[in-house]
Amino acid sequence: MTTTVATQPAEPRAPARTPRRRRLARVLARLPGTTAVWLFTGFCLFAFAFMLISSFKASRDILERPWSLPATPRFENWATAWNDGGFGPAFINSTVLVVTASAVTVVIAGPAAYVLGRRPGRLSNGLNLYFVLGLGIPVQVMVLPLYALMNSLELINSLFGLFVLYVVVSLPFTVFLLTSFFASLPAELEEAAALDGVSAAMTFWRIMLPLARGGLLTATLLNAMGIWNETLLALMFIQTNDKFTLPLALLNYFQQQQFTGADFGALFAGVSISILPMIGLYAWLGRRITEGITMGAGK
Amino acid sequence: MSATTRSPLERRRGRIFAPFLAPALALYTALFIGPTLYSLYTSFTDWDGINSPQWAGTRNYSQLLNDPAFRSAFGNTLKIVFGVGAAIFVLSFGFMLMLREMRGRRVIRGVIFLPHIVSSVVLAIFWGVLLSLDGLLNQALDGIGIDPVEWLRPGWTMSAVLVALVWINTGYYVTILMAGVDRIPVSFYEAARLDGTNAWQRFRYVTLPLSWDVTAAAAVLWTITSVKIFEFILAFGGNQGALPPTYQWNNAMFVYGETVGGITPVNQFGYAAASAVTTLVFVAVLVIVLRRLMRREPLQF
Repeated sequence: MTTTVATQPAEPRAPARTPRRRRLARVLARLPGTTAVWLFTGFCLFAFAFMLISSFKASRDILERPWSLPATPRFENWATAWNDGGFGPAFINSTVLVVTASAVTVVIAGPAAYVLGRRPGRLSNGLNLYFVLGLGIPVQVMVLPLYALMNSLELINSLFGLFVLYVVVSLPFTVFLLTSFFASLPAELEEAAALDGVSAAMTFWRIMLPLARGGLLTATLLNAMGIWNETLLALMFIQTNDKFTLPLALLNYFQQQQFTGADFGALFAGVSISILPMIGLYAWLGRRITEGITMGAGK
Repeated sequence: MSATTRSPLERRRGRIFAPFLAPALALYTALFIGPTLYSLYTSFTDWDGINSPQWAGTRNYSQLLNDPAFRSAFGNTLKIVFGVGAAIFVLSFGFMLMLREMRGRRVIRGVIFLPHIVSSVVLAIFWGVLLSLDGLLNQALDGIGIDPVEWLRPGWTMSAVLVALVWINTGYYVTILMAGVDRIPVSFYEAARLDGTNAWQRFRYVTLPLSWDVTAAAAVLWTITSVKIFEFILAFGGNQGALPPTYQWNNAMFVYGETVGGITPVNQFGYAAASAVTTLVFVAVLVIVLRRLMRREPLQF
């Protein structure tokens, strides 16, 4: 009897003999909770719908009739944001930074994670811990000496300087994530390659790297999203509008508007320029993103 | 480490160990750990970020203790770590339990995760539009005949920030907790049900112990990420290039505000470093305590 219970199918299901009255009672008991979950979900959905829809409305409509749909969609909001609001150049700066920094991070962290994950021992464990330590250090602790250092290297207000910083702050998490990923790969292929006389570097490049593709993609994605939305470092190290990233352009446009009377339509077009790529990425590769996050937390 | 006792694989691996590790190790040490240590040093100095630091002993720290701006910033940091944290975990556990048996759970999980993937600046803008005097909330209230409420009056803005932080982060922690709970075999619940347990008992004796390690990891994660929260506070409270009023600062905001932030930066790098180091010590202690408190025998299943 008990053995048959242990091999149930994966979906939870109510026992078939539950009387209808009891099931009804259960549904009623859960009603407040269910309602709360749906309200919360509805609010999230509303927030994003509001921002996207407002990007097609006139400023006055957003203020006076925030709950209405646009009478005729105003695409000129997007043109205003892109050209006059500075979101065009900012979009390009952000894209360049995201692509280069997240790629270079994986290129640097990947090999390190490989040797740390595949070579158990006291030295590896110690070094591993040394990298994990970085996860617990808030950026605001290291940012002040970095500011002085970048200043002396004349890398303040330089996208290259910001690129270097993004690689550095992404390293601890990437090494941490990829180390556990490499450690989970099977050992047989590596051993076979070694017996065949393949060099270790070649084994990494030709055998282990392709196996780790999923982990590398996850790490790249998470870093890309982090860099796309990063604000503190950008704020401290970038000064002129031509080098603004998207969060800076948003912040700047938002605060300028408070001076000059707001063009909320263009503001939300700028907001949409910032959020749509992330929503697209999430819709496309969401499973990888949540997988990476939970993998990081589960270890 | 004699070569004779090692397999060909180990020997080969040994050869690539240093070159594979060196770039990451060098960059991380030079630009991450190095600056952290230097911050530790400058927290005991007077420093403007340009000229060389002048030794000041513990003066920065004693000054911090008496600085009302820092005290309120630290108080706000505590409110975020513990208050917002408690709300997030209670909500996340509740959501997780509801979602286990709800229709449309995949869609819900996807939607409530959305605030986590966009910039906090965006969310701060939305939050402002929602709560302003002629904003979304008041217009909706007007629709049902309730007079507009001044949500953003000075005494309330910090609470508005705290509520927003709960909203932004809950979906993320639901995702993490759900992943832990989804690993629990369904047969455990069916066995428990056959034993005549109620929902609370199943939560207490099946769900909670078996997702304990994930919960502990999530608690540590919240601790170390919550002290970095910065963008939302800056974007929500600041206007026209000025910083938010100091009663809305947290520690991260304090570091920015005492150095390069605002219309007239004050460049007190040594002083700001002391506040940053205080944050770091706070986080370290909290993580150690959390790990102690939440340590359990790992359960295999």
